[in-house]
Amino acid sequence: MEPELLLGSTLALVLAVVFAPPRAPRANLLTWGLLGLAGMAAIAIAPTLDLIVLILLVLAVLQARLASHRDFATRLRAPVLAVVLLALGLALERMQGPVVLDRFGAVGIVAGLAAAVGLLPYAHEFDPEESLVASPIPWIAFVGPLLAAAVVSRASGVVAADAGDAFGAMLIGLGLLNMLWGAVGSWRTENDAAAWRYSFMSDWGLALCGFGLAIADGRAAALIILFSIVLGRLPLYLWSRQALREKVPTDRPINLVVAAVLAGSAPFAGFPARVLLLRGATQLYWPLALVLAAAMLLWLPGSLRLGRSMGVPRGRQAVGVAIVLALNVLLGVYPQPLLTLAGL
Amino acid sequence: MAGAAFVAWVGAAIVVLADGRRGQALGLALLAMSLAVLAWPAGMAAGSVAIALGGLIAAVQCWRSGPAAWGIMPAGSTPRLILCIASALFVFWLAASVTSGPDASLRFAVIVVSGLMGARVLMSRDTSVVLTGIAALALALGLASGLAAQSPGPGPAIVGGLIAAGVLFVPAAPIPSAIQAASPAPTDSDGA
Repeated sequence: MEPELLLGSTLALVLAVVFAPPRAPRANLLTWGLLGLAGMAAIAIAPTLDLIVLILLVLAVLQARLASHRDFATRLRAPVLAVVLLALGLALERMQGPVVLDRFGAVGIVAGLAAAVGLLPYAHEFDPEESLVASPIPWIAFVGPLLAAAVVSRASGVVAADAGDAFGAMLIGLGLLNMLWGAVGSWRTENDAAAWRYSFMSDWGLALCGFGLAIADGRAAALIILFSIVLGRLPLYLWSRQALREKVPTDRPINLVVAAVLAGSAPFAGFPARVLLLRGATQLYWPLALVLAAAMLLWLPGSLRLGRSMGVPRGRQAVGVAIVLALNVLLGVYPQPLLTLAGL
Repeated sequence: MAGAAFVAWVGAAIVVLADGRRGQALGLALLAMSLAVLAWPAGMAAGSVAIALGGLIAAVQCWRSGPAAWGIMPAGSTPRLILCIASALFVFWLAASVTSGPDASLRFAVIVVSGLMGARVLMSRDTSVVLTGIAALALALGLASGLAAQSPGPGPAIVGGLIAAGVLFVPAAPIPSAIQAASPAPTDSDGA
């Protein structure tokens, strides 16, 4: 799953740089994007979780040294907490002892993953005025998807069989929490930029549930959702930043189409992911599918709001939005090549 | 090995309790040497050398940066002292009594150092203190792979040593002056 996500992230960086708004610092975006990609490539080829944790630490320090409204120590807190939680979780998994230690280890790994990406209950401090590269957005939308796929796949070899259920249940529990909180937050919060950040969280909730189901349908749903974050929500957020500053909501057809992409409606990428997730949840425990279906309805009001906040894309951005929409339609109508490539 | 684990805890405790560069450097050097001793019998001879070298380079760099003082246990550091002692007792119980196997010293050192360094980074706003904590954390993470039943080799220890050696050379970007002027000066909020 990691090579596919690395490819998706590379494509997202190309889109972000080529179709960046006129006043966006392209060189900065490209430099730090390439550095992030290098780190992600290292994560993808790292054979053990220990090395992934160390690479995460390096990426966190490098990002924290960027000029920002927040100081160095403040920006390092969440990633360092993630590193410590992952390390303690790994250590507990490797010790010989009672089963409860293995379960605590699973809790540590899942909590570390949530802290690294910036999900509840460890959401990173967010400043809407901060530059994109120095903000928590690269964690939740650029590095995070590949990191999560790598951590979950490596953890399956570390987490003891007795704690496997706890690991899955923790992922599903955190997934539901982020789904509900993110969907309601993106609808109700006053600040539009914060609403976008909440919308990333809600998509992550679906991905965590997919990973937690631990069956092929769940993993396939998680992969498509992560792809839709990297190749849908992230570039759309980047192109909406100018309109967010101008605070001019628009109600053109393009805004409605963007809202449909963000809400995961057919024929866009979020739709097959939701179908696969519901199918997987039904196989495993049908009341979970009921809860997921109810939670998915909450995407609609927040997505309509985010679609309106995008403004009217013009020039290069319009081309970028068209490409993103086309990619999402392609993934939504025919996701099988991606899933085959990932061995799902 | 028990002695090395104890020295590792002493080193980590000094990093937690010291605010001056000399105290931090001393703690880091003690920590690096003791973790290197623990890594050797865990089947990581090359990793042991990397941890020792990385830690010592970090300690030397630490000696040259930050406030020129020892600053060990300044006024108000009682919560940090309690943290050091309580964490040592808890992890000692965990490593020696709850878990089994031959590497009790390694288990103790990895968990107590990771926990204390995480706490040190989370409780401080001083850049040099945070970087020292990260260097020590990288050393402990490098050693942690020794806990695995099938050791992944010296890779993580070498990477940990490299991170420790390099992280203190990272210059933190200053907060833009417009923002500094608009907000009160940051204070060390570590309870000191």
